[in-house]
Amino acid sequence: MAETKTDAMISTQPGYDKMPAWPYFMWIVLLSSLFITILIWVLSMFFNAPLEEAAEWAKTPNPAKAPWYFIGLQELLVYFDPWIAGVILPQQILIGLILIPYVDTAPEVQGYYNFSKRKFQVIFFSFGIFLWFFLIVVGQLLRGPSWEIYWPMIDYPLGGQEWTYPDQPLKTSQAKLYNLSLPVGITISVIGFIAGMTLPAMMFKKYFKEVGIIKYSLVMVHVLLTLGVVGKILLRLVFGIKYVIVTPWFNI
Amino acid sequence: MSTNLNNNNEVSFVPPFLKKIFEYIKSTPVWKSIFRVGYPDTMPKRMAVMRSSFYMHIFPTKVGMHGMKIKYGWCMGGITFFLFLLLTITGILLMFYYVPEEHRAYNDMKDLRYVVPFGMILRNMHRWAAHGMVFTVILHMIRVFYTGSYKPPRQFNWTVGVLLLLLTLLLSFTGYLLPWDQLGFWAVTVGTNMASATPLLGYEGPFSKYLGIQIDNDIRFALIGGTRIGPNALIRAYVWHCVGLPLIATALMIFHFWRIRKDGFSGPM
Ligand code: HEM
Repeated sequence: MAETKTDAMISTQPGYDKMPAWPYFMWIVLLSSLFITILIWVLSMFFNAPLEEAAEWAKTPNPAKAPWYFIGLQELLVYFDPWIAGVILPQQILIGLILIPYVDTAPEVQGYYNFSKRKFQVIFFSFGIFLWFFLIVVGQLLRGPSWEIYWPMIDYPLGGQEWTYPDQPLKTSQAKLYNLSLPVGITISVIGFIAGMTLPAMMFKKYFKEVGIIKYSLVMVHVLLTLGVVGKILLRLVFGIKYVIVTPWFNI
Repeated sequence: MSTNLNNNNEVSFVPPFLKKIFEYIKSTPVWKSIFRVGYPDTMPKRMAVMRSSFYMHIFPTKVGMHGMKIKYGWCMGGITFFLFLLLTITGILLMFYYVPEEHRAYNDMKDLRYVVPFGMILRNMHRWAAHGMVFTVILHMIRVFYTGSYKPPRQFNWTVGVLLLLLTLLLSFTGYLLPWDQLGFWAVTVGTNMASATPLLGYEGPFSKYLGIQIDNDIRFALIGGTRIGPNALIRAYVWHCVGLPLIATALMIFHFWRIRKDGFSGPM
């Protein structure tokens, strides 16, 4: 029985013990299918899919939340204008993900878990995933009416769509916000960008030589973007700064 | 592994006359025309049974021990695909009862709950499997990253994967509107409002006013077929959710799996 080219290529790899797919692998497939079916089935017997009142244009719930996987973006709306939080950042996340295999081509680690040989990659990716889920948790669990923070247990509980605790006042943000003046904002951003692009290249000369300037720039732009997002969140939370750059056309 | 896997000491609980009947059925031309290989009890037959079946042919005939370990792949790609199948089946059944019309959609949800036999469990399964799929596809991506499985020659399959991730999110998002309740209605309102902030193309986005973009000709208008979520948005969400996006996702999955078979599963090289 002739094997296809790739089958043969792989089966001649040393240390690559193989077993016939039938019946061993087919068992795994069958059992995991059954397991998942039963899991979903049992879940469905105990938990009903949510269904609220019929949609009504005139009755805006407060807060109106996006589905959980998009709530990270909604949470970013606190810190960024919608064109950044809702358009530019998701777009860069997708582009950044697609770029990964084209900028990280070092063949060392492939097909097993390893940290020491790819510290930077693992840290950066893990940080991104962490940030994503952190924002989801904050948006999903801690945000109440007017998108203010309501601590579960400590603060009074939230009641469904409407505020069911009339004697308890709703929170309103008392924070006073400032904008940086345009020259200051631009200076900080430009210096940050130039320093962020050049310093790592000088610190990690060997890595820089290895990957070349194009891959290096693609990676660093996304690293800086990620740090920029975190930085702006901190600026807002710690110093009450709303915009770093204010122009007649857009604000950042 | 020995080639002959026949076990002569086999204890059989099947009465002899039944065995004879089975034997007869298996020798008929009809049976043989459907199952061509016979019971795969030898190595060549085990290879043949995988290779000669259209559906099994999606799997390799032999699999590496390494990749099969649960702690390596977490089964996550496979589970994602299985959830997709489950969603297709429950989704088709839901389509029998659901009409995407402003005044009917919500009542159909109520009917599923109180009138349709097993309607509630059908809807629940579709809902939880959908959340599950979003979750498992993210886990799958994480595992592919940590095992470095996107390294050559699998770069492009990672790209296809990212598109599949996006499609999974869009499938879930378009489905969210269909019950036409406050939850979905406002979630989708919030989500699609972001599109109006697109630079150049959304009416609230930077620079768009120089292009003559207004609320009734921007990208959000194209997505929801109106200036706010209404009957047009409902039918658009429905068609994307039940026809457009699943077709695209299926096409990409076929490609995804084809590539995995051609490149082989990642593993020690
Ligand atoms: C609907 C979504 C998806 C489905 C149904 C799917 C399905 C699968 C399956 C069944 C495998 C076989 C190995 C395994 O189970 O781990 C696989 C492998 C793979 N997937 Fe996906 N996948 C999806 C999304 C993604 C995403 C989001 C990515 C990455 C961004 C991705 C990248 C890959 C790569 C690179 C491989 C090869 C892994 C290897 O050889 O170790 N896939 N996929």
